[in-house]
Formats: sequence, C-alpha cells, structure tokens
Amino acid sequence: MRSPIRIVFEQRSETPKHLSVLVPLLSVVAALVVGALFLLATGYSPLETYSNMLSDGFTSSRGITDTLGLSTVLICTGISAAFAFQMNLYNIGGEGQLYLGMIGGAWVGLAIGERLPTFIMIPVVLLVGSLAGALWILLPAFVRSRLGTSEIVTTLLLTYIAASLVKHFVYSPGSFFVTKNSAFPQGRLVPESASLSGINNTSLYPTFFLVIVIAIVLFWVVKKTEYGYRIQVISDSPRAAHYAGINANRTTMSVMLISGALSGLGGAVLIVGPFGRLDPGIILLGYGYAGIVIAALARNNFSAIIVSGILFAGLRSGGDKLQISTDTPIHIGVMLQGAILLFALGGEAFRRYHIHAVRTERATQ
Amino acid sequence: MNGNIWVLASADSVAIATTLILAALGALFTERAGVLNLGIEGILLTSAISSFLAADSSGSIWLGLIVGSLVGALLAGIHAVLSVVLRANQIVAGLALVIFGTGLANFLGKPAEGKTVTTLIKPLSFGPLSDIPLVGPVVFQQDPITYASIVIAIVSSLYLFRSRPGLELRATGDDPATVDAQGLSVASIRLRYTLFGGLLVGLGGSWLMLAQSAAWHQAATTNGIGWIALALVVFAGWRPIRLIFGAILFGFTLQLPFTLQAEQITFIPSALMQMLPYLATLIALIALSRPSTRNKLGAPKSLGIPFVRDER
Repeated sequence: MRSPIRIVFEQRSETPKHLSVLVPLLSVVAALVVGALFLLATGYSPLETYSNMLSDGFTSSRGITDTLGLSTVLICTGISAAFAFQMNLYNIGGEGQLYLGMIGGAWVGLAIGERLPTFIMIPVVLLVGSLAGALWILLPAFVRSRLGTSEIVTTLLLTYIAASLVKHFVYSPGSFFVTKNSAFPQGRLVPESASLSGINNTSLYPTFFLVIVIAIVLFWVVKKTEYGYRIQVISDSPRAAHYAGINANRTTMSVMLISGALSGLGGAVLIVGPFGRLDPGIILLGYGYAGIVIAALARNNFSAIIVSGILFAGLRSGGDKLQISTDTPIHIGVMLQGAILLFALGGEAFRRYHIHAVRTERATQ
Repeated sequence: MNGNIWVLASADSVAIATTLILAALGALFTERAGVLNLGIEGILLTSAISSFLAADSSGSIWLGLIVGSLVGALLAGIHAVLSVVLRANQIVAGLALVIFGTGLANFLGKPAEGKTVTTLIKPLSFGPLSDIPLVGPVVFQQDPITYASIVIAIVSSLYLFRSRPGLELRATGDDPATVDAQGLSVASIRLRYTLFGGLLVGLGGSWLMLAQSAAWHQAATTNGIGWIALALVVFAGWRPIRLIFGAILFGFTLQLPFTLQAEQITFIPSALMQMLPYLATLIALIALSRPSTRNKLGAPKSLGIPFVRDER
C-alpha cells in the first residue's frame, strides 16, 4: 500500500543566499531549544544558564579577551579539520595531533630554551610542535595514500595512543617533562624565552593574530593557487584528476600532513601561551574534537572558521566559568556543540534540495 | 608467576568481548544495509549512563538493560533520519553523534558521579562444570548477557546468509538499485536496520555499565571501545561468526594492561601498556588493507552512499 502523499527532494540548481545564513542560525537556535529542554528536565533554569554563558563569553571586556584567547587554539584545530575535509579526507585525530604539538613544543622549549633568545625560541617551539603534529598523522597519511586504509579510524585510534603518551610523560617517575622532587606530578614550565605574555595581561596572546593570518593564507592557497586547484579537482572527481595527470597520492599525503601540522600548531600555541607546560588536563578539554564541529559548521570555509571558532570559544569560555560560579553542569556546552552540528547537517538538506510534498496519484501518473 | 591470574585474564577476555560483540554487531547490521554510523562510541556512552540511571532509580538491572538499549535505538534514529531521509554526510553525522552523545552522557551522568551500581549482573553457575580448571572460569562462569551476545551473533549469521530478509539486507548494502527495482523500499530497510543496530549497541553499552564498570567514569567508561568495535567489523569482514573470535582477541588486549598491573609486571610502564588495544587495532586495520586482502573482505559496496532513485 502506498501513502497518498510522497515527499519529493528536488535538487536546487542554485542555493538561495538567505538559506546560507538562515540554516546555520536556525541550527544554533534549535540546539539551544533542545538544550533548554534537557536543562528544564533536570531542574535548571535555561534562561539563567544561557545568559550566564553568553554574557560571560561576549559582553565583558575580560570575557571577550578570554574568548579570543581560547579561539586561537580552536581556529587552529578548525582549519586543520577543514583542510583535510575539503578533499574528503576525514582527519578526525586532530585531538591527538594537538597533544603531540604540546609534547613537541614543551620538549624543545625545555631542551634548548635556556640558551636561546625569545625571538628565536617562539618560532622554534611553534615549528617543532607543528612538526610533531604532522609526525602523528604520518602513518595514517602513508597507509591512506598507498593502501587506501580509511583514515577515519586510524587517526582516531592514534588519539587514544597520544593520550597515553601524555600521561606517560607526566606520570612516569623521573620524566624529562616534570618538575623534579615535586609533591605531585606536574609538567615543568618552559623557560621565559619560550613563552609569551598575554596582551595587556589578558588571556589573549599574540599567537591569535598569527593564526588568523594562517587561516587567511590558507583561504588564498585554496582559492587561488595551482595546489588549491589540484585539491578541488581531486575532491570533485578523482577520475578527472587522474586523466589530468594529477598525482593524487602525493596530494593526499601533503594535505594530511599539513592538516596534522595545523593541529600540532594548536598544541604548541598552548605551550607558548596560557599553559606553558605539558599538562594532562588537556585530555579533558577536547579542543581537537571541537575543531571538527567548527569546520563542519563553517562548511570548510577558512574565513567562516574564524567566525565559528570565535563563536564556539565564547560558548566554551562561558561554559567553563559556569562550572566555577554555579552548579550547572559544564557538559551542556559540549552537548550544544554536537546538537548544533546535528541540526546544521539536517538543515543542509533544505539548502541543497527543494523539499515538498506531492499527491501520489499525480506523481506516479 | 601466578597461573590463576592468567585463567582469570582469559575469562575476562571473553567477558569484555561482550560489549565488543554487541557494538560491532550493531555496526555490522547498519553497514550491511549501506549506512555508515560512526557514532557508536557516543551511543555506547549515552546508553551506559541511561542504564545506570534507570537501574539505580528502579532497582532493576533488567529495566536498566531495556532503557539503555532503547536509548541506543533512539540515538541511532537521529543518525538514520539524517543519513537516510535527509541524505546528510554520514561521516560528519556520525561524528556529530559522538560529540552530542559524549556531552549528553556527561550531562546526564552528573548525579551518578561517585555512585556505584548496587547489584551487578551476576555470572551464571553450572554446578560442577563451572569448577573445571581453566574451562570452567572461561566457558561456564559468564553472565547471561555474555552467552546471549554469542547466541545473537550466531543467529545473526544464519539470518544474514540463510534467510530471505537477510538476503534483502545484504542486497541493500551492495546494490540498492536492484532492491528498489524489486519493489522494496531501500529507505525503510536502511531505517529499520540502523535502529536495530542502535538497539544492539545500546545493549552493549548497558552491559558494560551494569556488569563491568559498576561506576560512572565519564568518557573513560567506554574509553574508545566504540571505535575498536568499528575496526572489528572490518577485521571480521562483515561476518558475525568471525566477529566473535575477533572480539575475544581484541578483548584480550583490552584487559591485558589490568592483568599485568595486578601481576605487578611493570617492565612496561602502565601508561604505555594502556596503548595496547588501540595499537593492536591499528596494526590489524593496516594489515587488512593490503589491496589483495581488501577485495576478499567483502565490504558492502554501497556503504555510506545515499540511495537516490532519480539519479540512477
């Protein structure tokens, strides 16, 4: 038996401009509504929770610098995810690459930081952190380009391995990374030459501007260079790329390594910036996973990632403070991230298709 | 060396394989229908805490298992709507589900922190059989859900390869256009098996909570078992019987760090030892992806590709 009404998906030839803005916006609203339902059900006031979250992240000057400071690392992991996603390479191990960036940055800072001046050490820490991130994706990139092993599960499994590595370096006795003879295991602070101070004593560091510049440069690389063109061709049609003589394997490899390096940079940014040491607390923060949401919400557009990165940082920094000020569970922030992405994905259908219902008689004539 | 510990380790490998079998079977049914659900880890975690809360407030383990399974199906339903009805990117949808599920589980788990399940699922006893050295603890001292998971896997194999609906399911994952031409609804088959898959994953998560963990440890409760389960499906070549053995093998690597710690074998630092299950899974995945082996594995040919009749 057929139902009298059939839902028809009609591919749009062109997406109306207003939908490109409306869909992400409505996704955020819908997610907030779902979050409110959960808050109500568990006995919290949604209005109070949200207003605390948002006012903290976006209105006070302290809140704004906190937000921009946090957005630095989120934009890193966001562009890292987007750079791979745009070529249909799903590097979802940015979280682990970020840990490696912290390990690499802290290692070089501790090893040679005493002997070199700041203007050399800062670039060295950022560079080594990025290389460490790239190193962590080397194996998935290699087997993906040579054997076709899906990068999704391999990059993710390496995140769990990286987390164990961080714990090992902090908790194993006599580790290079920790303070000797300390009452409890704690990462050693990198020397002053390897650390920056916040602008006007805020939690906004100069690295923020570096990351913005990198995002803009990547935007340009993808849109205007021959390399970016190659990426586009491969993602649109691997077969066309093959006939055009493009070496897809080499491009796959380089795109994944750059993606890993960008997440590694995020970890190194934390070393020269607010953390200053290898801190196992990073494992609970999920900055790498947040990058996936930020990239997907910005639909892998590098300039849009700056906006969505700052937006998420605002939600996060407000959420983190909730933990201290009230007894509202901070996890509502992570839940909202996931819900926003789920709604945005659903909304994508309305952007791509003109969806309408028709009577079956007419449709099947 | 204490031999007894190693018997317990073997018994634990079989026990911990329960969650792996159920979660991987859930993924297997979903993928056989052509839908890729990467959200397993998020579903496991949310169903685990739901089963805890249900069992804790009602005092009934069985109600906990039922609620946990239903929550699993509910979350899989989100994925089904997004990927089957709205044709969203299945990879990103699955990841979104992991993030949403993790946040939701931690949010719901707030009141459970520091509490433990009062009555755990208990192992069955087969009288004298359970006392046989080695075989007794490994084979005859498991709990009902562990036995059930193996039975479900065997029945799944028969269903998949020996029944009409099983054939239709496999065809939907391989060649949906033909299924559609037979007058069957591809969308309805995919929706149903995605939901059923979620139900199995949910049962696995609930069992993990009510038989294994007993206390809520936030994301560490599942600790990546969902991802290992996804790799296990590939490892087993989308076949339920092979999946049982793979699960016991991966279960062994999951419990080994704890056994070695209990044995006070410390030549490998414990933090490094905890890498073992992920490392083993990684190596297995890579070893299996040599082109010669991959073709024999038999991945559903339309896995992750939305079916659109008009574009055929």
